[in-house]
Amino acid sequence: MSFLTEYGIVLLQGLAITLALSISSWLLSFAVGLFLTLVRMTKIRAIEWAVLAFVEYQRNVPPLVHIFLWYFGVSSILPESLQELVNEYHGEFIFAVIAIGLYYGAYFAEDIRSGLRSIPKGQQEAARAIGLSYAGAMRRVILPQALRVSIPPLLSNTVMLVKTTSLAMVIGVMELTYATKDVASSTFRIFETYAISTALYVVVALTLLFIGGWLGQRVRIKGR
Amino acid sequence: MLDIIHQYWLLFLIGSYPNGPLGGIAATVLLSVIGIGLAFPLSVLLALAQLSPYKALRYPATAIRYLLRSIPLVMLIFGAYFIVPIILGRPVAGFTTMAVTLVIFQSVYLAEIVRAGIESLPKGQAEAAAALGMGYWTRTRKIILPQALTNMLPSMVGQFVTTIKDTSLGYVIGVNELTYAANQVNSAVITQPFTVFLVLSLAYFVICFALTQAARLLEAHLERRNSRTVTHVTLNAQNAPAAGHSS
Amino acid sequence: MTIKKNSVAAVNPESIISLHEVNKWYGEHHVLTDVSAQVKKGEVVVLCGPSGSGKSTLIRTMNRLEEIGSGTIHVNGQDVQGKQVDVNSMRSHIGFVFQQFNLFPHLSVLENVTCGPLWVNKAKQAETRQLAMALLEKVGLGHKAQAYPNQLSGGQQQRVAIARALAMNPPVMLFDEPTSALDPEMVGEVLSVMKALAAEGMTMVCVTHEMNFAREVSDVVWFMDQGSLLEVAAPDVFFTSPQHPRAQKFLSDIRRH
Repeated sequence: MSFLTEYGIVLLQGLAITLALSISSWLLSFAVGLFLTLVRMTKIRAIEWAVLAFVEYQRNVPPLVHIFLWYFGVSSILPESLQELVNEYHGEFIFAVIAIGLYYGAYFAEDIRSGLRSIPKGQQEAARAIGLSYAGAMRRVILPQALRVSIPPLLSNTVMLVKTTSLAMVIGVMELTYATKDVASSTFRIFETYAISTALYVVVALTLLFIGGWLGQRVRIKGR
Repeated sequence: MLDIIHQYWLLFLIGSYPNGPLGGIAATVLLSVIGIGLAFPLSVLLALAQLSPYKALRYPATAIRYLLRSIPLVMLIFGAYFIVPIILGRPVAGFTTMAVTLVIFQSVYLAEIVRAGIESLPKGQAEAAAALGMGYWTRTRKIILPQALTNMLPSMVGQFVTTIKDTSLGYVIGVNELTYAANQVNSAVITQPFTVFLVLSLAYFVICFALTQAARLLEAHLERRNSRTVTHVTLNAQNAPAAGHSS
Repeated sequence: MTIKKNSVAAVNPESIISLHEVNKWYGEHHVLTDVSAQVKKGEVVVLCGPSGSGKSTLIRTMNRLEEIGSGTIHVNGQDVQGKQVDVNSMRSHIGFVFQQFNLFPHLSVLENVTCGPLWVNKAKQAETRQLAMALLEKVGLGHKAQAYPNQLSGGQQQRVAIARALAMNPPVMLFDEPTSALDPEMVGEVLSVMKALAAEGMTMVCVTHEMNFAREVSDVVWFMDQGSLLEVAAPDVFFTSPQHPRAQKFLSDIRRH
């Protein structure tokens, strides 16, 4: 099947970009999520409000619109020198990562937070009672348990994140969906192209589900 | 920013109607309502199939679930955009393609919610209905679904919010909805992309946030109603529903 | 080890319920072993035994809420577990009261009682309403007809559940630990209803821990342990001189508390 060998490469390259987008965005999201959760623990009203505002804003605006705002909007108000820098280094990729990263950062923050809230207060009390500081208790007792609880929602949001990277095609990032559309419209082998890409996405999604399941099993607290 | 809103508010609201198809916020809302409205009955059937003891129903329903949840919506939209006219043998309007794709996509996600609602009911409800002699459809229609759907109403409102956000993807196939309208404004103004897209973001924010808050109020109301029991016995299982989740 | 077992043929025309060599397995676990028994019309049977003895499982097989591995169960002359049987029709002639009441929370008390006749028997609205109100009065809850289950106490809910089952006019009523989920002060009101029912001649099988109820009201006591029906005796015999050693142990354990 020469179609496969010729255009298969293009699709796989698209997949590679998709994965690169996904990993970069995921790291940003996780960092943002963790940061927001930790910062909320200071219990300062203003910070609480700021975090809430950020989370609500991110979640109630479509990811495509976030991408537009960053790629068309923010780039235009950047100082000249930064603009040139960004353009040289695949600005569309960078802005896509920022937009998607912040969007899912808000969701990850909620997932981590719900994990934390599921830990009974007695754990914190017991940890402090043996002499751990607040930070120590968090690090050694609370967070390890909370992150385990957060794995399922984090996992499903991760799968969604990978799917959302497909939106980057709109601003010209040549990830898998872009490649699919490209190949389909140039070869007119529409069914085959979409079938292959669908299969690739399904493989990625199922792989993530397996990894998540394996991870969940490995860190499982026995008897819970 | 205010001048832009002042000048283009009509375009944002209804697109170029009546000089063109209905667009803007009106089209977005219309698409969302059609999407969720038609997806709802499909999702109930899909959920029941996924819970069915008959493998002939359960396997395909579960396969659909995994398949449609793995592929990005934008790819489904493109696929439909190219493939549907080929199948039908005639051109199909972008709006229609978008609506149909949304219905299919949302019904899979709604089915998750419906399924969760059904599974959260205590087994005793189905048993009590069966013990009285009610058949499957009577049980499901009169006892199970009324309770499950009421409990999941907040989540379903959340899914409606998600649908509204998903309509923004209509832009890629030229559907005249809000994001498309914003791009039109941007092309007209040219020099202020940040402002234009900020207005766009705020427009979505206002609509979606209002609905999300409504869902939260609904959830609180349901929680109060369900926990208002006089018994000492845990009537349990009117579980508090999951928070409406926008993707 | 004297065990009184009915050696009558599998289907006794005089019996409303006939159990013959009933066996059930959960995987490897043999939960019901060769259970055979008969319930005559108008009899009140109390089914007792320690936890895990299989008594709840057994009563649930009688209206096929549980399946069996082998053996036969006949209720109202019908083979309950048969392949061809119309399960819904069969169940509509057997009243079942659950430990957790299982009232329908989205329906009012009156609607809970009328839903069976209306939706299963396709009875007429007006007649059904009258019947339901009469039943609610009978269990002492006529004044709560428009209330919702959430607004009732446990004892009240269980009484409504009994009315709901009675609305179908079944020839036999099955009770699966009807008072076990109730606070002690509410047990009496439910037992009163059950006693009145028994006095009217209803055929009843009750899984219960209420030994006083058993002594006062039942005609036969079935004692089960670890899936087997070990003793079938009249209550005065069973409570004063149980035959089977495990029955003796059970009664002495109960008495100690």
